[in-house]
Amino acid sequence: MTTPLLELRNVETFYGPIMAIRGVSLTVNEGEIVAVLGANGAGKTTLLKTATGALNSRKGKVLLDGKMIQNRDPDWVARQGIAHVPEGREVFPFLNVEENLAMGAYNRNDKRAVARDIEAVYGYFPVLKELRKKLATYLSGGQQQMLAIGRGFIARPRLLLLDEPSLGLSPALCAEIFDIIARLNREQGLTILLVEQNANVALKVSQRGYVMEVGGMVMDGDSDHLLESEDIKEFYLGKKEEGVRGRRRWKKRKTWR
Amino acid sequence: MTPGATLKIDGCSTLPQLFLKKCRERGARIAMREKDFGIWQSYSWDEYREYASQVANGLLAMGLQRGDVTSILSEDCKEWMFADMGNQLAGGISNGVYPTYQPRQVKHALTDSRSRFLFVEDEEQLDKLLEIEADLPLVEKVWVFDWKGLRDFRHDKVAPVEDLYTLGLEYGKENPGRVERIVADGKPEDIAVLVYTSGTTGLPKGAMLSQRYAMYQMSLAPEFFYMSDTDELLTYLPLCHVAERIFSGWLPVATAATINFAESPETVAQDLVELSPTYLFAVPRVWEKFYSRVTTAMSEATWVGKKAYAAALAVGYRRADKLLAGQELTIADNLMFLLADRLVFRNIKKLLGLDRAHGLLSGAAPISESLLRWYLAIGLSVEEAYGQTETGIVTATRRGVFRLGTVGRAFTGVDVRIDGETGEILCRSFGQYSGYLNQPEKTEDTVIDGWVHTGDVGELDDEGNLRITDRLKDIIITAGGKNITPSVIENELKFSPYISDAVVIGDQRKYLTCLIMIDRENVEHYAQTNAIPFTDYKSLCARREIVALIDEQISEVNNGFSQVESIKEFRLIDVLLTAEDDELTPTMKLKRSFVNKKYSMLIDSMYNG
Repeated sequence: MTTPLLELRNVETFYGPIMAIRGVSLTVNEGEIVAVLGANGAGKTTLLKTATGALNSRKGKVLLDGKMIQNRDPDWVARQGIAHVPEGREVFPFLNVEENLAMGAYNRNDKRAVARDIEAVYGYFPVLKELRKKLATYLSGGQQQMLAIGRGFIARPRLLLLDEPSLGLSPALCAEIFDIIARLNREQGLTILLVEQNANVALKVSQRGYVMEVGGMVMDGDSDHLLESEDIKEFYLGKKEEGVRGRRRWKKRKTWR
Repeated sequence: MTPGATLKIDGCSTLPQLFLKKCRERGARIAMREKDFGIWQSYSWDEYREYASQVANGLLAMGLQRGDVTSILSEDCKEWMFADMGNQLAGGISNGVYPTYQPRQVKHALTDSRSRFLFVEDEEQLDKLLEIEADLPLVEKVWVFDWKGLRDFRHDKVAPVEDLYTLGLEYGKENPGRVERIVADGKPEDIAVLVYTSGTTGLPKGAMLSQRYAMYQMSLAPEFFYMSDTDELLTYLPLCHVAERIFSGWLPVATAATINFAESPETVAQDLVELSPTYLFAVPRVWEKFYSRVTTAMSEATWVGKKAYAAALAVGYRRADKLLAGQELTIADNLMFLLADRLVFRNIKKLLGLDRAHGLLSGAAPISESLLRWYLAIGLSVEEAYGQTETGIVTATRRGVFRLGTVGRAFTGVDVRIDGETGEILCRSFGQYSGYLNQPEKTEDTVIDGWVHTGDVGELDDEGNLRITDRLKDIIITAGGKNITPSVIENELKFSPYISDAVVIGDQRKYLTCLIMIDRENVEHYAQTNAIPFTDYKSLCARREIVALIDEQISEVNNGFSQVESIKEFRLIDVLLTAEDDELTPTMKLKRSFVNKKYSMLIDSMYNG
């Protein structure tokens, strides 16, 4: 068995006395897109933050290429090749697009390669090229999301963590962004760990998926398989049977099979 | 069996008669409590009678005749009791339907019983019914306890239960005294309730339980069940099950004990702690769960805590073993135990919500001796009762008389004997059931010359204590010709905190094997403490370390048995089963025959290679 690129083993992370994730294990192999689904408060963001060192875990291990990286400073983790595209984009509002992208290359000194990668980002997101001199604060939500992904890509990470890229985007824009995520994976060989509430797009773009609920994993499997699961259909895809009365308020009990 | 004909409690010979009489005496005393938006609300005996009378009058207004069947499809709640008692006051027969049933099972329970009226809990249960509506021409009207989510729903046959209460109120005013007359006309041989037995083979059979059956169980309350008016009970097993019906439905009518409804089947542990009931009837699974919780909590305790627990337990076991051996306790024994109790056991009992409990009873399935010994060690004497739907509860161990491994002596009025040939336990009493509905041939197979053939094998000791060996049909005869009683081995397996249920297999086979259902909580906890990565339940069961852990548990159990009785191979059931699944009975026991069929491939894999 090859060593997975990223592995979490029995990770427990606390906010003060409250256990936000309780014993989560997960693997991401080189070249994969892996999706983590879950409702609000399930612990998805906490999971990513624990992986990048923004939060410390109390128990468990985070392994990058088999080496322990848990509880290290986030900047150190970033230098090991993990780029985090946070929820809500968090672009630098008063830097322009070009400068924002350049920030992604903070740890790189191969100027020529960086310039080439910036061009590659413009290739994926032509709209960013048009707006290259504009302050990020004037960009639309979708454009900011593109910029944030581009900034993550510029770091040339081994693993890109995407936290809810679909947040606040129109369905059309969402489809566009996920299309590019799939291309980045295919064309650039970028390994991606994707956290999403939008199960439909996430499972279509990913090869494997995990489902989190109240801080723990309840299900995992190939994305095609998850898309077919009754519970995923009802609770994440909103495809519930209408029931005998044509409207059904009660929820089935989840079994996660 | 003539003495039964005259069985009376306070001059009453049926449950409805006794109920009306007792309600009048008790008035504003609290009969039951139920949580509403997080706050415990109480309902007095007056209110209980008032609601039940409204149901009775309402049903009469709808044309209910004596002997008509009314079904209730709901989790335990106060409305369940109102509907059940109300129906009986009007002369109806009550049939509880398990809320975990799938629509096709509900259909059988309703058509077989020819139910005319039906109560359902809520929208969810109603939907089950609507799915099979076309197949239920006999059901005339359905009342829903909780109308939430149904505001815009219109259906000729379906109405909120409040409509029935209103109808009953009006009918009662127009026809005063009608219910009382019907109740007075009631006879002990009238059928009170139908209880469908879980039916591990074939469709469930409806056992008919008469008023006399109920009266007999109630007559046992003070002397054999030790229940009194100061007792607080927690109602959490399905009321459709005869055991919960006896303990929560009938005995409180006789004793004035108070029942408290658990919020939901998932919150029983919290409800227990909150209420700290004085009386608890539980199935072995629950007693096993308590023990597992304590074991897990202790494995996480501080060094001092662990030492204190071990020391206290040593004291407790020494005392327990003396009690079991019938030896006198010395003053030192008592003092040491008092100390252990103050320092350790009291906290354990608080943690479980058993610190006030004096009446502890296990039944409905065999329980492990090791478990009972542990309870005795921490100062809780759990009595064991024996019975089944067809016989009622017929034996129980007596307080202060320790006969571990037996279920005690037969109650007054019950004859128990062992069939000389098969070893089967036969029971005869005036409190036994009145046969299976629509299935006289099945009844004839079961009741022969007045003796109920229980299907259990057992023996009587010279004091008359009954020892249960196993279910007759479950006894394994290996290919080598050895008779093996699987439940004894299974119970020892279940004593492990990591094993929730087990099915031993080996009939006509070379050696014994078993299927294991792990205790999810404790195994997850074990995986977490030992850094064993897993994601879902299936992946947990697939971990080498977990298989090794179970292997270790099994080896330990094997040590206590002979070579032929030891488990050679095992497999884990890697699907998290719920009460809705066919593999489990509503009380969450694995169904042996079903499991044997469903997992036959898995079982065969233990014998090939």
